[in-house]
Amino acid sequence: MSFLPFIFANPLMLAALVALPAIWWLLRMTPPKPVTEVFPPLRILASVLKREETPSKSPWWLTLLRMLMAAAIILAIADPVFNPRSNTLAGNGPLALVIDNSWATSSDWQRRVETADALISDAEERDLPVSVVFTADQEHNAVPGSALSARNRLAAAAPQPLSPDRSAAVNALKTALDGTAPGTLAFLSDGIEAADSKVMVELAALSPQNFRLIEGGKDQAVAISNSANDAESMVVSATRLDTTAARTLPITAYDTRGRAIANGSVAFAAGEGVARGTLAAPFELRNDFARIAVDGMATAGGTFLLDDGFRRRRVALLSGEARDQSQPLLSPLYYINRALAPYADLVQPNEADMAVSIPELLAQKPSMLIMADIGRLPEETYAPITKWIENGGTLVRFAGPRLAAAPADDPLVPVTLRQGERALGGALSWSEPQPLADYPALSPFAGMPRPEGILVKRQVLAEPTADLSSRTWASLADGTPLVTTKTQGAGRIILFHVSAEATWSNLPISGDFVEMLRRSVQLSRSGGVASDGAAKGQTLAPYRLLNANGILISETGKARPLDIAAGTTPVSSAEHPPGLYGSEEGFTALNLLPRDTELKPIDASGLSIPYTSEPLIGAEAWSLKPSLFAAALIMLLIDSAVVLFMGGAFARLRMPAAAMIVLALAAGVLVAISGQSLADDSKPGDDIILRQLNKTHLAYVITGETDVDRLSERGLAGLTEFLTYRTTLEPGPPVGLDIAADELAFYSLIYWPISANAPMPSPAAISRIDAYMRSGGTVLFDTRDQFSSLGSDSGSSPNSERLQAILADLDIPPLEPVPTDNVLTKSFYLLSNFPGRYNGSPLWIEAQPDNGSQPTGRPARSGDGVSPIMITGNDFAGAWAIDTNGMPLLPTVPPDEQQRELAFRSGVNIMMYMLTGNYKADQVHIPALLERLGQ
Amino acid sequence: MAAIGQIVEPTPSGEVLSRAQSRARLIPDCMVEAKRIANTVISGWHGRRKRGIGENFWQFRPYSDGESLSRIDWRRSARDDHTYVRDREWEAAHTIWLWADLSPSMMYKSKFGSVSKESRALVLMLALAEILARSGERIGCPGVMEPVSARNAAERLATALMHTPLSGGLPQTAMIRGASDLVLIGDFLDPADTIMARLGPLARRGLRGHVIEVADPAEESFPYAGRTEFTDPETGEKLTAGRAEIVRDDYRRAYIARRDTLGENLRHLGWTFTPHRTDHLASEALVAVHMYLSGMPGRATHGGQL
Repeated sequence: MSFLPFIFANPLMLAALVALPAIWWLLRMTPPKPVTEVFPPLRILASVLKREETPSKSPWWLTLLRMLMAAAIILAIADPVFNPRSNTLAGNGPLALVIDNSWATSSDWQRRVETADALISDAEERDLPVSVVFTADQEHNAVPGSALSARNRLAAAAPQPLSPDRSAAVNALKTALDGTAPGTLAFLSDGIEAADSKVMVELAALSPQNFRLIEGGKDQAVAISNSANDAESMVVSATRLDTTAARTLPITAYDTRGRAIANGSVAFAAGEGVARGTLAAPFELRNDFARIAVDGMATAGGTFLLDDGFRRRRVALLSGEARDQSQPLLSPLYYINRALAPYADLVQPNEADMAVSIPELLAQKPSMLIMADIGRLPEETYAPITKWIENGGTLVRFAGPRLAAAPADDPLVPVTLRQGERALGGALSWSEPQPLADYPALSPFAGMPRPEGILVKRQVLAEPTADLSSRTWASLADGTPLVTTKTQGAGRIILFHVSAEATWSNLPISGDFVEMLRRSVQLSRSGGVASDGAAKGQTLAPYRLLNANGILISETGKARPLDIAAGTTPVSSAEHPPGLYGSEEGFTALNLLPRDTELKPIDASGLSIPYTSEPLIGAEAWSLKPSLFAAALIMLLIDSAVVLFMGGAFARLRMPAAAMIVLALAAGVLVAISGQSLADDSKPGDDIILRQLNKTHLAYVITGETDVDRLSERGLAGLTEFLTYRTTLEPGPPVGLDIAADELAFYSLIYWPISANAPMPSPAAISRIDAYMRSGGTVLFDTRDQFSSLGSDSGSSPNSERLQAILADLDIPPLEPVPTDNVLTKSFYLLSNFPGRYNGSPLWIEAQPDNGSQPTGRPARSGDGVSPIMITGNDFAGAWAIDTNGMPLLPTVPPDEQQRELAFRSGVNIMMYMLTGNYKADQVHIPALLERLGQ
Repeated sequence: MAAIGQIVEPTPSGEVLSRAQSRARLIPDCMVEAKRIANTVISGWHGRRKRGIGENFWQFRPYSDGESLSRIDWRRSARDDHTYVRDREWEAAHTIWLWADLSPSMMYKSKFGSVSKESRALVLMLALAEILARSGERIGCPGVMEPVSARNAAERLATALMHTPLSGGLPQTAMIRGASDLVLIGDFLDPADTIMARLGPLARRGLRGHVIEVADPAEESFPYAGRTEFTDPETGEKLTAGRAEIVRDDYRRAYIARRDTLGENLRHLGWTFTPHRTDHLASEALVAVHMYLSGMPGRATHGGQL
């Protein structure tokens, strides 16, 4: 049959072609059947139906179509196959077979075996000895032997999940042949050139009489060479051998149980051998990736194993600052966020109330928790945080004014801190801002160059202890610790002694900050690499190995334990086949190909002898059967459509135009209705909230004591009237707040008269007040007894004690009496003190940082934000209180109406300060601004 | 796909009779407005304006000798000295010949019509017989029943039909004498010329005719589509239309034109023409024919349309 370009697998079936004329006759005889109708007025119909159609024959082209269909089916059953194998073996020396059984051969291994078997059969016919070597095997027995033994060895060989070692195979062959030139040397190659050797040159050196290079299809030689976990997705690099056409390959990620959990694709451009693809999946899902494989490529190269090192950490961020996001550069979290976003997944709380947000954050199981300038946590959150640390969490804290003011017994700092901070430089200090010293050798920061240009101007100080230096990761040039740590349980606490924004030092705006945080995050891996450096090697037993089809199996065979040494990347070999090494708790992935390998085709240039290149048996032998069947099916479909059309099926389906219009209208109405449905998300109480938001309201805390509450209400009503009369601010009626239940966020200032007789607010209520202050609100505490305990040594009143009890659970910044250059003294009226019904107590506000850099002659000091807390003892409400006729309710002490006027003015200044912030302080710039505008 | 039309079995005349009587109950009695009453001696309800046999009083006249004494009206004679005889008006009955065409094409019934054309034609015929018999007219059926004047003429006609089934084609009319009315019920699908050639001599003999054309709705609206093979039930002739829907308009034009031509020709003869469709109520045709027979002029000019 060699004179034909194809042979028929079932030539007998061609006899059925004889039946075609009979089929033709039958087809012509069978008309398409009309619908039979009795019709009495046939004569009338006959008069209008001019052309009488004869239904006895179908059209010739329909008959031809059906004939072709029948012929296609008969030919398809006869199964024509192109390209039968025709070559036979030539030469009279022994037949040498060099067979690649590397990973890339696993997909078409059976055909490789058939090809080799055909060659062995040819050798058997000519009675030639056969020598077989497999390149991926360890031991080679290349001694020429009988065809039978060669066939046995061929049957026993299997593709290995390894790269071939062709030099060893060729050497073995050379040794076995012992100088005799092989008659035919056939190299069944996987088509991939090894990086360091030219196998064709080595084979040509054997000087065979007939040199054949037999290659299979190259489209299965695709390997995943690398993968990287970035912020959005998993980036996968892949390489391929056949670079001719553009090709898009689907890739799938599997978890440890082999379930497919993410899909993506790698798109190779035409002519490109390397491409990148992405597997987009949520962070949690990406952590579960254990294996990435190219779909449809069941090879060890098309499979990429992942281990713990790929996982991104989840880092929770928490801040004590009450900064709004319009000033991000002042927020410590901003710098941490920018530093860590590329390396970790950051979670931030939705609520300002720490009693709620900390359990919420811990429930998301972060690897690391970063707290920036938090002095005091709600009491009930200490236990879960401690438990979390002991379970392996890493807590990173940054100092700041609040931490500096916090009591020394905080369990969540690694060292005992001195209260207050140390300022370096400035007007009151002899010392200069300090640079950083070299990182200690034990520190994880070791190896980073000593940072240049970083100056620390302010820090918190650790009490010296014996082991302080061993727990110091970074220190200043004068030896004071900058970063200290403590292991606690399985976890760790790390404290940066500077703040996370740029006020205390310029560390947060340097690259070292990023690197320090990144290394800290790397340490936070639970159960992974030990933190005490990687000096000592580690030996990992094989746990799961890849087979040649890219499947993980537990059979470890001859694989030997893998030595993990620092700085070296293990390479797969016959002793260490690709797979997972370690144990179920932790393992290291060893992949077949080194990172970022490129597959290159066999280089056959510069050979001394000619060679012939041929495909595998059946490689080009393709069957016409499927296409013939497909053609027959298409013709059948065409025929069915034609018959239906001729039978009038489409005409009977035709609908009246009116029905179509009605249908179209109905569809349009449906679309319109579904497109315009709006979600009703209103909630009960929305109208109350809107009423509160429409106008500014003054608010006071309902203490539970009737006369105090009535006085508060009347006092704020008096202030409201005063504000309406004197300023553009026209507040609504005052609002009494139940701090345990009401929403506080609508009010900029809450007046809280302290009464020792009132019930103590619950911890939850105080936590809400804490959150309110943290998110920008201000509470004005009034002890109403003239003698605030703060700073006074004249004993404390019951109200002061109650205030202390309340403040004990709040995270409050350092306080100071209102300095004369504070905005509060100038925000509306010029005031020197803030009297109420009494005139003896100062007004305490948050201490402003003394930067020392501002000129002393300025009338007002600028600051950022407003004080979250004000404390007075002057009983403001008592002075403001008026009855419904506008007459004062209580006399001032001493009885002086001027003092009442000043008390009102104090209230106006406080309200203006609350609503305008540091705007008045910026007024000092007006001359400069006008000058710049050219006026 | 089921065929639209079919040939049904002939309807039993008993069933037709009961339906016809139920229809006839809805229609008032019909006195044929006889323009020229046949000069017969059979008493009827059509007064002849002269002395004769009848029921109604016509005149008193003096008794003449030789007349039967029993005819003397003694009540009148007692008023004066003369003897009077009561004469009655001569009242004669009119003969109506009913005939229905029951050719094979009448067995046709489509799914749009409620009954077959044959069934409807028989119902119309028997209902007319019932109505007219109530009025005392003489009912006859050419070739089937001689004219009778009986209250149960419809039953008798039905019985006669059972014994002598009606055949197709137009009836033999040799036995029709004098001025009678003739009611023809059928589908009249033959060419108009053929029909007129047959009916023309009847009209010239002085017969007054009323033609009811019974049609199936499928015949008029032609609801066929697609490749359809049509068969004539009378001749068995076959005709295949490749796409029946494209000749629908042409066919309907031809059908209506044929009906108009037939109606026009019949009116020229002085006959009336009533088209009727089997999807309408039989009473409609009955009422129309009733009005024609009663000589109501208002309905006589409606142009033959339903």
